[in-house]
Amino acid sequence: MLRVSLREIRAHGVRFALSVLAVVLGVAFVAGTFILRAMLSDTFDSIVESSLQGDAYLRSISTTEEGLPDGPPDPSAGFGGARDGIDITLADELADVEGVAQALPDVQGPIVIVGADGTAVINGQAPSLALALHPDDPAVDLVAGEVPVGPNEIGLESSALETSGLALGDTTTVVLGGEVREVTVVAEGGYDSPTSGATLAFLDADVAADLFAPDGLVNSIAVYGEDGVSQTDLVDAMTETVLADHPDDNLEARTGDDVRAEASAAINEIIGFIGTFLLVFASIALFVGAFIITNTFAMSVRQRQREYALLRALGASPVQVFAVVLTQAFAVGLVGSAIGLISGVALVDLIRWILSRFGMNLTGDAPVTAFTAALCLGIGTLVSLVAAAVPARRAALTAPVEAMRDDVTVTEKSLRWRALAGAALLLIGVAATYVSVAVATDETPWWGLGPGPWLGIGAGAVLVGMLALSPVIARSTLGVLAAPFVAAIKPLGRLARGNVMRNPRRTASTAGALMIGMALVAACTVLAASARESTTAIVESEYRADFVVMSATNAVPAEAVTAIADLEDVARADAVATAPVQLSGPGLEPTSTTVIGVPPEAFGTTLEIETLSGDLATLADGEAAVHTSAALEYGWELGDRITLRTDVTELTLTVGVITNSQALNADVTIGQDQLTELLGPAPANVVMVAVDGVEGVSPDELGEQLDTILEPYVTVTALTEEELVNQIADRVNQALVIIYALLALSVVIAVLGIVNTLALSVIERTREIGLIRAVGLGRLQLSTTIVIESVLTAIFGTVVGVVVGVALAAAVRSVFADQGLSVLAVPWDQLAVIVALSAVVGVIAALWPAIRASRLPVLQAIAQE
Amino acid sequence: MGRHAAPASISPEPADDPIASARGLTKVYGTGATAVHALRGVDVDLGRGRLTAIMGPSGSGKSTLMHCMAGLDTPTSGTVEVDGRVISSMSQRQLTTLRRTRIGFVFQAYNLVPTLTAAENITLPLDIARTPVDRERFDTVINTLGLGDRLTHRPTELSGGQQQRVACARALVAKPSIVFADEPTGNLDSRAAGEVLGFLRRSVDDLGQSVVMVTHDPRSASYAHRVVFLADGALVGELHDPAEADILEALAALGEARERDAS
Repeated sequence: MLRVSLREIRAHGVRFALSVLAVVLGVAFVAGTFILRAMLSDTFDSIVESSLQGDAYLRSISTTEEGLPDGPPDPSAGFGGARDGIDITLADELADVEGVAQALPDVQGPIVIVGADGTAVINGQAPSLALALHPDDPAVDLVAGEVPVGPNEIGLESSALETSGLALGDTTTVVLGGEVREVTVVAEGGYDSPTSGATLAFLDADVAADLFAPDGLVNSIAVYGEDGVSQTDLVDAMTETVLADHPDDNLEARTGDDVRAEASAAINEIIGFIGTFLLVFASIALFVGAFIITNTFAMSVRQRQREYALLRALGASPVQVFAVVLTQAFAVGLVGSAIGLISGVALVDLIRWILSRFGMNLTGDAPVTAFTAALCLGIGTLVSLVAAAVPARRAALTAPVEAMRDDVTVTEKSLRWRALAGAALLLIGVAATYVSVAVATDETPWWGLGPGPWLGIGAGAVLVGMLALSPVIARSTLGVLAAPFVAAIKPLGRLARGNVMRNPRRTASTAGALMIGMALVAACTVLAASARESTTAIVESEYRADFVVMSATNAVPAEAVTAIADLEDVARADAVATAPVQLSGPGLEPTSTTVIGVPPEAFGTTLEIETLSGDLATLADGEAAVHTSAALEYGWELGDRITLRTDVTELTLTVGVITNSQALNADVTIGQDQLTELLGPAPANVVMVAVDGVEGVSPDELGEQLDTILEPYVTVTALTEEELVNQIADRVNQALVIIYALLALSVVIAVLGIVNTLALSVIERTREIGLIRAVGLGRLQLSTTIVIESVLTAIFGTVVGVVVGVALAAAVRSVFADQGLSVLAVPWDQLAVIVALSAVVGVIAALWPAIRASRLPVLQAIAQE
Repeated sequence: MGRHAAPASISPEPADDPIASARGLTKVYGTGATAVHALRGVDVDLGRGRLTAIMGPSGSGKSTLMHCMAGLDTPTSGTVEVDGRVISSMSQRQLTTLRRTRIGFVFQAYNLVPTLTAAENITLPLDIARTPVDRERFDTVINTLGLGDRLTHRPTELSGGQQQRVACARALVAKPSIVFADEPTGNLDSRAAGEVLGFLRRSVDDLGQSVVMVTHDPRSASYAHRVVFLADGALVGELHDPAEADILEALAALGEARERDAS
């Protein structure tokens, strides 16, 4: 029997090659995901290794249990919870401790470097940081030049130097601590590991301390031991001396290994999220792959029904026939998985190359571990076996008498059960989706589940339900879709319609793969458009200023803010600034968060903020504005007292207003004066300046003036309302690029699925094709017929997918309505383009099968058994 | 080899106006030692307005002869003329056009496109050629074949005999110069076969059609005006308006001749 299985594979090479291809694609996606994840983790680990090289660290005890820093991992910032700063002078005390070779405070802050071409050296969303460089800093290798001394010398990390186009000895402009400065590049420094896109510069340690630790507080102090002193010895020594001397300062000493492990764990949590995200796509790819495999086996079993009947007539038991088909599936799965694994490695190399084009260097190892290999081979083989099980059962149950019949009549099973199951799933999905929207609106979980899980359940059930239902709706939908073809291209349109409608199950499962992909594409398109529209709506309703000044580094230098306010034609220049604080209040333990500070006079002039209750004017009296999402989460009401704490001071404020603003989207917004009080000598981080001109000044004139004074700051620009909208829209698109790339992959798999099914159905219809060729159908006409079939299938999948995608996106929009998606925008034009593109997809998918069919010799085709 | 001269009472074939003719037709499959000579120089004229049957044992080349004359296969050498056109030198494209305009086909099995109704199957060659259907002709053919109440049925809803009648109607509706039928009754029981053959004969007698049929069944061949016998790729005899018994006799003689040759 094994020989029968393997002989068949050899005899029907093309058929099996297509099944193998389906497995290859699915497994390649999974393998790529795992390898990419391992590589990311490796890359970040090595960043941690090189940026946290100390043997021990001194820092304050965390004020939160297990807080993680917000936002992307910053390679050199502290990890492991929110902490107060510690006194920089402790470094001198540490240096005197026995066994300590060096104690270097961690001093760093934002910088803008102007490259050789006059533009800022900046790399997408990656930070641009200046670090203190001590003459003997063991973490940094001085590749060339001298350690910078004084305020007018800087060093650049090797990759930053390369990107900037500058050379040692060049003079350039930097924006540091809110000031524009001319500096000379005197050093090139290097880390052992990649900086993952961050632009790093080095400063004289004292200059850096003045700039970034004006209050004398730093996050941590790295301690390097003398040769032969172990990390634990160092920590013990620190505990006995410095910690004992400052018992009230909440200090702690930790070994370097501990801190690095903490940092790695924090990073892995973030990467874990990316991995989960990729795995969702990988499972979609596998799901789609399984579809194609099922399809392939179903068709090849049908075509070989007589062979199986013959085997049965010759005495093979149903189990043996079942085994024949499963053995083939096993071989297909194993071979496909192995090739898929190799393709996955290639895929990662491709992604690495693409990312490197965007300045993200992933130099981590991409190891194919035994686990990854086993998982991929296992999944690929298992999916193939499961996918082949149903067709195998059908093969096994072939009646021996089939062998005697001339024409194999395959009776289509009734679609009734499928219709019922599909409808039930669809209903459950719609209901769950409805619940998710309701839960999101009422902000009260249902059965202990928030809107997210409900939405997930709903979306999954709707998709699977539609997949189950699609053969049921295929006939009528295809009838409508085919009408133009039938009318326009006689008689080919009708032939093609007949071919796609004769087996709705197959057409539906062929289109199923595309349906999933297109549903995701449509959902993303709608969400992107909604995000854009919503932003536009916010900008239009909340920003009243003539201009908004922003920086690509998210920090407008203080000097620039002053310069704007000093312009004669400027009536108002309201700086919106942020500061990190510990927030606490009724029902809330101290939590790290960011507060926004705004001059109270801005309300009603440059900013128009919607309030739910209370009055924004109370900010002038020292009260606080709380965002509705925070108010609901913590149960705060007007009049509650909340506490904001920083290294400098602690403020307890009354909640005076609850807003629903999108512009001021922090939990708490306070007046500018309170923010200054909280920050003390440290500079506020100005994220935006809203500028209004005096009456009589034209916007163009004011814009020109602003451009002139902002020019030295390179990354700072004045934007009109329209420009602001466009900029935000660009950012939304950028964030979606990678998602679109992943979706493109799932569409590619879907296209191959169509190719696969068409090629198989051409093989299946060989005699019929011979017949219509014999009665006079030309080659081109035959090809056209197959192309129309393919286009119809593609459009069917796309139309159903788009409908599902748009509906789901609408639900997602409702769920996230108060997180920035206030408006639902359905870009019909873009969706129309997607449907049109699917027609192109159909044509492409049909090319090979069509050519193959048209080359069939008529006589042989007729004689085909 | 026993020459079966035609009985004197039968008029000779009108050789001056054949609908299709072959001259020096040879067909060789493969090359060198493995070459198979399917046709070894066949000269034949097929009469206009006649039902001609081609008979012969398996491997005699009867199907090859039909395929070459119908433009489905290209001969190795020799010429084929159909309705005044030399088709043996035509390109594939010209042959496709020829098939859809001048030639009708009836095959042994799997004759209809399963997704189309009987009526759609019948008009398929006309639709492919974008030629309007001649209603009168359509009705005549349908009536002759008795298919009036079956037109909206799909092939799977028709019996084997009905399917073959639909195939005949498809071959006839475009008024082709000649209809080729390859074992048209091979898959049918004798009653259905009799019906189909009766219709083919009537299409010749009543509609003036020219039909060529390949068969190995003497009873089927007895419906023909003329039966030509093939053996080992060469024409070895013919009968005019034969009875079934004549054909059986001729076949038996052919068999004896072959055995003699072999020994």
